[in-house]
Amino acid sequence: MAEVHVIGQIMGASGFSESSLFCKWGIHTGAAWKLLSGVREGQTQVDTPQIGEMAYWSHPIDLHFATKGLQGWPRLHFQVWSQDSFGRCQLAGYGFCHVPSSPGTHQLACPTWRPLGSWQEQLARAFVGGGPQLLHGDTIYSGADRYRLHTAAGGTVHLEISLLLRHFDRYGVEC
Amino acid sequence: MTTASPSVFLLMVNGQVESAQFPEYDDLYCKYCFVYGQDWAPTAGLEEGISQITSKSQDVRQALVWNFPIDVTFKSTNPYGWPQIVLSVYGPDVFGNDVVRGYGAVHVPFSPGRHKRTIPMFVPESTSKLQKFTSWFMGRRPEYTDPKVVAQGEGREVTRVRSQGFVTLLFNVVTKDMRKLGYDTGPADTQGVSGPSLPQGFPQ
Repeated sequence: MAEVHVIGQIMGASGFSESSLFCKWGIHTGAAWKLLSGVREGQTQVDTPQIGEMAYWSHPIDLHFATKGLQGWPRLHFQVWSQDSFGRCQLAGYGFCHVPSSPGTHQLACPTWRPLGSWQEQLARAFVGGGPQLLHGDTIYSGADRYRLHTAAGGTVHLEISLLLRHFDRYGVEC
Repeated sequence: MTTASPSVFLLMVNGQVESAQFPEYDDLYCKYCFVYGQDWAPTAGLEEGISQITSKSQDVRQALVWNFPIDVTFKSTNPYGWPQIVLSVYGPDVFGNDVVRGYGAVHVPFSPGRHKRTIPMFVPESTSKLQKFTSWFMGRRPEYTDPKVVAQGEGREVTRVRSQGFVTLLFNVVTKDMRKLGYDTGPADTQGVSGPSLPQGFPQ
Protein backbone atom coordinates (compact mmCIF):
# COMPACT_ATOMS: atom_id res chain seq x y z
CA MET A 1 0.00 0.00 0.00
CA ALA A 2 1.21 3.47 -0.72
CA GLU A 3 1.69 5.88 2.16
CA VAL A 4 1.32 9.62 2.38
CA HIS A 5 2.67 11.86 5.14
CA VAL A 6 1.07 15.30 5.45
CA ILE A 7 3.26 17.35 7.79
CA GLY A 8 3.15 21.10 8.26
CA GLN A 9 1.56 24.01 10.04
CA ILE A 10 -1.54 26.14 9.85
CA MET A 11 0.44 29.36 10.04
CA GLY A 12 -2.32 31.90 10.49
CA ALA A 13 -4.93 34.03 8.81
CA SER A 14 -5.04 37.49 7.28
CA GLY A 15 -7.58 39.74 5.67
CA PHE A 16 -10.36 39.26 8.22
CA SER A 17 -12.11 42.30 9.65
CA GLU A 18 -11.97 40.93 13.19
CA SER A 19 -8.67 40.55 15.02
CA SER A 20 -8.86 37.78 17.68
CA LEU A 21 -9.16 34.68 15.52
CA PHE A 22 -9.00 30.92 15.92
CA CYS A 23 -9.60 28.10 13.52
CA LYS A 24 -11.25 24.69 13.73
CA TRP A 25 -9.71 22.42 11.15
CA GLY A 26 -10.38 18.92 9.92
CA ILE A 27 -9.32 16.59 7.14
CA HIS A 28 -11.67 14.59 4.94
CA THR A 29 -10.59 11.65 2.81
CA GLY A 30 -12.23 9.09 0.57
CA ALA A 31 -12.99 5.50 1.49
CA ALA A 32 -9.70 4.11 0.16
CA TRP A 33 -7.64 6.14 2.66
CA LYS A 34 -6.84 4.99 6.17
CA LEU A 35 -5.38 7.23 8.85
CA LEU A 36 -2.49 5.41 10.53
CA SER A 37 -1.29 8.10 12.96
CA GLY A 38 -2.17 11.65 13.80
CA VAL A 39 -5.32 13.50 14.80
CA ARG A 40 -7.87 14.16 12.11
CA GLU A 41 -9.19 17.44 13.45
CA GLY A 42 -8.42 20.11 15.97
CA GLN A 43 -8.75 23.68 17.04
CA THR A 44 -6.02 26.28 17.20
CA GLN A 45 -5.22 28.88 19.84
CA VAL A 46 -6.83 32.32 19.77
CA ASP A 47 -4.34 34.96 18.63
CA THR A 48 -4.57 38.72 18.94
CA PRO A 49 -1.75 40.17 16.84
CA GLN A 50 0.32 43.07 18.16
CA ILE A 51 2.29 43.66 14.97
CA GLY A 52 0.48 43.88 11.67
CA GLU A 53 -2.90 42.36 11.05
CA MET A 54 -2.08 38.67 10.47
CA ALA A 55 -3.15 36.36 13.31
CA TYR A 56 -0.56 33.60 13.87
CA TRP A 57 -1.50 30.13 15.05
CA SER A 58 1.54 27.94 14.15
CA HIS A 59 -0.66 24.89 14.64
CA PRO A 60 1.20 21.66 13.73
CA ILE A 61 -0.36 19.05 11.45
CA ASP A 62 1.22 15.58 11.29
CA LEU A 63 -0.81 12.88 9.54
CA HIS A 64 0.16 9.48 8.20
CA PHE A 65 -2.19 7.88 5.67
CA ALA A 66 -2.11 4.54 3.88
CA THR A 67 -4.04 4.40 0.64
CA LYS A 68 -5.23 1.85 -1.90
CA GLY A 69 -6.42 4.35 -4.49
CA LEU A 70 -6.16 7.92 -5.69
CA GLN A 71 -9.87 8.73 -5.29
CA GLY A 72 -10.79 10.90 -2.36
CA TRP A 73 -7.46 12.73 -2.10
CA PRO A 74 -7.41 14.42 1.34
CA ARG A 75 -9.02 17.82 1.76
CA LEU A 76 -8.35 20.14 4.66
CA HIS A 77 -11.32 22.22 5.73
CA PHE A 78 -11.39 25.20 8.06
CA GLN A 79 -13.84 27.25 10.07
CA VAL A 80 -12.36 30.55 11.19
CA TRP A 81 -14.03 32.15 14.20
CA SER A 82 -13.38 35.38 16.04
CA GLN A 83 -13.59 35.69 19.81
CA ASP A 84 -14.26 39.00 21.53
CA SER A 85 -13.11 40.11 24.97
CA PHE A 86 -16.24 38.65 26.58
CA GLY A 87 -15.50 35.20 25.21
CA ARG A 88 -18.29 35.14 22.62
CA CYS A 89 -17.46 33.52 19.29
CA GLN A 90 -18.64 34.64 15.88
CA LEU A 91 -18.12 32.93 12.56
CA ALA A 92 -15.61 34.67 10.30
CA GLY A 93 -15.34 32.25 7.39
CA TYR A 94 -15.40 28.72 6.00
CA GLY A 95 -12.81 27.39 3.57
CA PHE A 96 -11.23 24.22 2.25
CA CYS A 97 -8.25 23.24 0.16
CA HIS A 98 -6.93 19.96 -1.18
CA VAL A 99 -3.68 18.68 0.26
CA PRO A 100 -1.10 19.17 -2.53
CA SER A 101 -0.46 16.14 -4.70
CA SER A 102 3.23 16.55 -5.45
CA PRO A 103 5.90 15.81 -2.85
CA GLY A 104 7.74 18.74 -1.31
CA THR A 105 6.94 21.84 0.68
CA HIS A 106 4.06 24.06 -0.42
CA GLN A 107 2.74 27.43 0.73
CA LEU A 108 -1.04 27.40 0.53
CA ALA A 109 -3.40 30.35 0.79
CA CYS A 110 -6.96 29.20 1.27
CA PRO A 111 -9.72 31.76 0.65
CA THR A 112 -12.76 31.75 2.94
CA TRP A 113 -16.40 32.76 2.69
CA ARG A 114 -19.24 33.23 5.09
CA PRO A 115 -22.96 32.82 4.51
CA LEU A 116 -25.02 35.99 4.23
CA GLY A 117 -28.52 35.97 5.52
CA SER A 118 -31.39 38.28 4.80
CA TRP A 119 -30.85 42.04 5.16
CA GLN A 120 -32.35 41.90 8.64
CA GLU A 121 -29.81 39.25 9.68
CA GLN A 122 -26.97 41.27 8.20
CA LEU A 123 -28.08 44.34 10.12
CA ALA A 124 -28.36 42.35 13.33
CA ARG A 125 -24.87 40.92 12.75
CA ALA A 126 -23.41 44.40 12.43
CA PHE A 127 -24.87 45.51 15.75
CA VAL A 128 -25.21 42.44 17.94
CA GLY A 129 -23.04 39.82 16.27
CA GLY A 130 -23.95 36.25 15.43
CA GLY A 131 -25.14 35.53 11.94
CA PRO A 132 -26.04 32.41 9.97
CA GLN A 133 -23.89 29.27 10.14
CA LEU A 134 -23.94 26.06 8.14
CA LEU A 135 -25.97 23.21 9.60
CA HIS A 136 -23.85 20.51 8.02
CA GLY A 137 -20.10 20.90 8.01
CA ASP A 138 -19.58 18.86 4.86
CA THR A 139 -20.94 21.66 2.68
CA ILE A 140 -17.57 23.35 3.29
CA TYR A 141 -15.71 20.82 1.15
CA SER A 142 -18.41 19.34 -1.08
CA GLY A 143 -20.10 20.88 -4.07
CA ALA A 144 -23.55 19.42 -3.59
CA ASP A 145 -26.29 21.87 -2.53
CA ARG A 146 -23.99 24.89 -2.78
CA TYR A 147 -26.39 26.55 -5.18
CA ARG A 148 -28.69 27.37 -2.28
CA LEU A 149 -26.13 29.63 -0.60
CA HIS A 150 -25.45 33.35 -0.95
CA THR A 151 -22.08 34.15 0.58
CA ALA A 152 -19.58 36.95 1.09
CA ALA A 153 -15.79 36.69 1.09
CA GLY A 154 -13.81 36.42 4.29
CA GLY A 155 -10.02 36.56 4.67
CA THR A 156 -7.33 33.98 3.80
CA VAL A 157 -5.93 31.07 5.82
CA HIS A 158 -2.20 30.51 5.27
CA LEU A 159 -0.65 27.06 5.54
CA GLU A 160 2.72 25.51 4.93
CA ILE A 161 2.24 21.84 4.11
CA SER A 162 4.92 19.31 3.17
CA LEU A 163 4.09 16.05 1.52
CA LEU A 164 6.16 12.86 1.73
CA LEU A 165 5.07 10.01 -0.49
CA ARG A 166 6.14 6.41 -0.15
CA HIS A 167 6.01 3.62 -2.75
CA PHE A 168 4.03 5.69 -5.25
CA ASP A 169 6.49 4.77 -7.98
CA ARG A 170 5.88 1.05 -7.33
CA TYR A 171 2.32 1.51 -8.52
CA GLY A 172 3.27 3.64 -11.47
CA VAL A 173 1.77 6.84 -10.12
CA GLU A 174 3.46 9.99 -11.36
CA CYS A 175 3.24 13.09 -9.21
CA MET B 1 27.71 -10.05 -0.70
CA THR B 2 24.16 -8.85 -0.44
CA THR B 3 23.57 -5.41 1.02
CA ALA B 4 20.81 -5.46 3.59
CA SER B 5 18.11 -2.90 2.90
CA PRO B 6 18.15 -0.26 5.60
CA SER B 7 15.35 -0.07 8.12
CA VAL B 8 16.39 3.24 9.64
CA PHE B 9 16.94 6.61 7.97
CA LEU B 10 18.98 9.50 9.30
CA LEU B 11 18.23 13.21 9.36
CA MET B 12 21.09 15.62 9.97
CA VAL B 13 20.26 19.23 10.68
CA ASN B 14 22.67 22.05 11.17
CA GLY B 15 22.19 25.76 11.02
CA GLN B 16 21.62 28.71 13.29
CA VAL B 17 19.07 30.78 15.13
CA GLU B 18 20.01 33.86 13.17
CA SER B 19 18.15 36.92 14.42
CA ALA B 20 14.89 38.25 15.81
CA GLN B 21 12.54 41.16 15.25
CA PHE B 22 10.75 42.35 18.38
CA PRO B 23 9.92 46.03 17.97
CA GLU B 24 8.92 46.61 21.61
CA TYR B 25 11.53 44.60 23.51
CA ASP B 26 15.30 44.56 23.96
CA ASP B 27 18.02 42.51 25.72
CA LEU B 28 16.65 39.14 24.70
CA TYR B 29 18.00 35.58 24.86
CA CYS B 30 16.48 32.45 23.42
CA LYS B 31 16.33 28.77 24.29
CA TYR B 32 15.71 26.07 21.72
CA CYS B 33 14.77 22.41 22.08
CA PHE B 34 13.59 19.70 19.71
CA VAL B 35 10.28 17.85 19.97
CA TYR B 36 9.89 14.60 18.05
CA GLY B 37 7.67 11.51 17.92
CA GLN B 38 8.19 8.14 19.54
CA ASP B 39 9.89 6.61 16.52
CA TRP B 40 12.65 9.20 16.54
CA ALA B 41 15.85 9.33 18.57
CA PRO B 42 18.72 11.83 18.54
CA THR B 43 22.04 10.18 17.77
CA ALA B 44 24.48 13.08 17.79
CA GLY B 45 24.63 16.74 18.61
CA LEU B 46 22.78 18.83 21.14
CA GLU B 47 19.04 18.72 21.55
CA GLU B 48 18.74 21.97 23.43
CA GLY B 49 20.65 25.16 24.08
CA ILE B 50 20.53 28.66 25.51
CA SER B 51 21.88 31.61 23.57
CA GLN B 52 23.62 34.80 24.64
CA ILE B 53 21.72 37.98 25.55
CA THR B 54 21.55 40.37 22.62
CA SER B 55 20.66 44.06 22.42
CA LYS B 56 19.33 46.04 19.50
CA SER B 57 21.99 47.56 17.29
CA GLN B 58 22.35 51.34 17.42
CA ASP B 59 21.91 51.82 13.70
CA VAL B 60 18.69 52.21 11.76
CA ARG B 61 18.21 48.41 11.35
CA GLN B 62 17.55 47.86 15.08
CA ALA B 63 18.59 44.24 14.59
CA LEU B 64 18.67 41.61 17.34
CA VAL B 65 21.29 39.05 16.28
CA TRP B 66 22.12 35.77 18.01
CA ASN B 67 23.92 33.74 15.33
CA PHE B 68 23.46 30.72 17.64
CA PRO B 69 24.49 27.33 16.19
CA ILE B 70 22.22 24.30 15.89
CA ASP B 71 23.69 20.87 15.16
CA VAL B 72 21.78 17.63 15.68
CA THR B 73 21.29 14.26 13.98
CA PHE B 74 18.21 12.06 14.36
CA LYS B 75 17.48 8.49 13.34
CA SER B 76 14.00 7.12 12.75
CA THR B 77 11.92 4.38 11.18
CA ASN B 78 8.87 6.53 10.42
CA PRO B 79 8.41 10.14 9.26
CA TYR B 80 5.47 10.51 11.62
CA GLY B 81 6.59 12.76 14.49
CA TRP B 82 9.07 14.65 12.28
CA PRO B 83 11.18 16.83 14.61
CA GLN B 84 10.13 20.36 15.37
CA ILE B 85 12.34 23.04 16.88
CA VAL B 86 10.67 24.95 19.71
CA LEU B 87 12.05 28.40 20.51
CA SER B 88 11.39 30.43 23.66
CA VAL B 89 12.58 34.03 23.87
CA TYR B 90 13.02 35.76 27.24
CA GLY B 91 13.91 39.30 28.27
CA PRO B 92 13.77 41.70 31.22
CA ASP B 93 10.66 43.72 31.97
CA VAL B 94 10.65 47.26 33.33
CA PHE B 95 11.25 46.04 36.90
CA GLY B 96 14.19 43.81 35.92
CA ASN B 97 12.42 40.41 36.14
CA ASP B 98 13.03 37.82 33.44
CA VAL B 99 9.79 37.31 31.54
CA VAL B 100 8.88 35.35 28.44
CA ARG B 101 8.63 37.38 25.22
CA GLY B 102 7.58 34.68 22.79
CA TYR B 103 7.24 31.00 21.95
CA GLY B 104 7.36 29.57 18.45
CA ALA B 105 7.80 26.25 16.70
CA VAL B 106 8.49 25.01 13.21
CA HIS B 107 9.14 21.60 11.62
CA VAL B 108 12.70 20.90 10.51
CA PRO B 109 12.56 21.14 6.70
CA PHE B 110 11.99 17.90 4.82
CA SER B 111 14.01 18.11 1.68
CA PRO B 112 17.80 18.22 1.67
CA GLY B 113 19.29 21.62 1.08
CA ARG B 114 19.43 25.08 2.57
CA HIS B 115 16.26 26.61 4.02
CA LYS B 116 15.42 29.87 5.73
CA ARG B 117 12.39 30.06 8.00
CA THR B 118 10.92 33.11 9.75
CA ILE B 119 8.54 32.09 12.50
CA PRO B 120 6.09 34.20 14.52
CA MET B 121 6.52 34.31 18.31
CA PHE B 122 3.55 34.58 20.65
CA VAL B 123 2.93 34.75 24.39
CA PRO B 124 -0.05 33.43 26.34
CA GLU B 125 -2.36 36.14 27.54
CA SER B 126 -4.67 36.24 30.55
CA THR B 127 -8.30 36.99 29.90
CA SER B 128 -9.11 39.36 32.72
CA LYS B 129 -7.73 42.90 32.91
CA LEU B 130 -7.02 42.55 36.61
CA GLN B 131 -4.87 39.48 35.96
CA LYS B 132 -2.99 41.38 33.26
CA PHE B 133 -2.22 44.24 35.62
CA THR B 134 -1.21 41.93 38.48
CA SER B 135 1.12 39.93 36.29
CA TRP B 136 2.72 43.09 34.89
CA PHE B 137 3.19 44.46 38.37
CA MET B 138 4.51 41.29 40.01
CA GLY B 139 6.69 40.30 37.05
CA ARG B 140 5.06 36.87 36.79
CA ARG B 141 3.62 36.70 33.32
CA PRO B 142 1.58 33.74 32.04
CA GLU B 143 3.93 31.18 30.57
CA TYR B 144 3.80 27.52 29.57
CA THR B 145 5.06 25.08 32.22
CA ASP B 146 6.58 23.05 29.40
CA PRO B 147 7.40 24.97 26.18
CA LYS B 148 7.03 21.71 24.23
CA VAL B 149 3.27 22.19 24.26
CA VAL B 150 3.77 24.74 21.46
CA ALA B 151 4.75 21.86 19.16
CA GLN B 152 1.54 19.95 19.76
CA GLY B 153 -1.93 20.46 18.44
CA GLU B 154 -3.94 19.07 21.32
CA GLY B 155 -4.90 21.20 24.28
CA ARG B 156 -4.39 24.55 22.62
CA GLU B 157 -8.05 25.31 22.06
CA VAL B 158 -8.41 27.20 25.28
CA THR B 159 -5.27 29.30 25.11
CA ARG B 160 -5.36 32.98 24.17
CA VAL B 161 -2.11 34.36 22.83
CA ARG B 162 -0.66 37.57 21.48
CA SER B 163 1.86 37.43 18.65
CA GLN B 164 4.54 40.06 19.04
CA GLY B 165 7.69 39.24 17.11
CA PHE B 166 9.53 37.02 14.62
CA VAL B 167 12.66 34.88 14.71
CA THR B 168 14.64 33.90 11.61
CA LEU B 169 16.31 30.48 11.44
CA LEU B 170 18.58 28.94 8.83
CA PHE B 171 18.73 25.18 8.28
CA ASN B 172 20.91 22.87 6.20
CA VAL B 173 19.32 19.44 5.94
CA VAL B 174 20.92 16.16 4.88
CA THR B 175 19.05 12.85 4.87
CA LYS B 176 20.39 9.33 4.48
CA ASP B 177 18.51 6.30 3.14
CA MET B 178 15.12 7.96 2.82
CA ARG B 179 15.00 7.23 -0.89
CA LYS B 180 16.11 3.61 -0.32
CA LEU B 181 13.17 3.15 2.01
CA GLY B 182 10.81 4.39 -0.68
CA TYR B 183 10.20 7.96 0.49
CA ASP B 184 9.95 10.80 -2.00
CA THR B 185 10.51 14.19 -0.45
CA GLY B 186 10.19 16.23 -3.61
CA PRO B 187 12.59 18.73 -5.13
CA ALA B 188 15.36 20.15 -2.99
CA ASP B 189 14.42 23.62 -1.87
CA THR B 190 17.83 25.27 -2.03
CA GLN B 191 17.96 28.91 -0.94
CA GLY B 192 14.23 28.78 -0.39
CA VAL B 193 12.90 31.60 1.71
CA SER B 194 9.58 30.76 3.25
CA GLY B 195 7.50 31.48 6.26
CA PRO B 196 4.79 34.01 6.84
CA SER B 197 5.13 37.20 4.85
CA LEU B 198 6.36 39.92 7.16
CA PRO B 199 4.30 43.06 7.55
CA GLN B 200 5.58 46.26 5.95
CA GLY B 201 8.47 47.85 7.69
CA PHE B 202 10.39 44.68 8.53
CA PRO B 203 13.57 43.89 6.62
CA GLN B 204 13.43 40.64 4.59
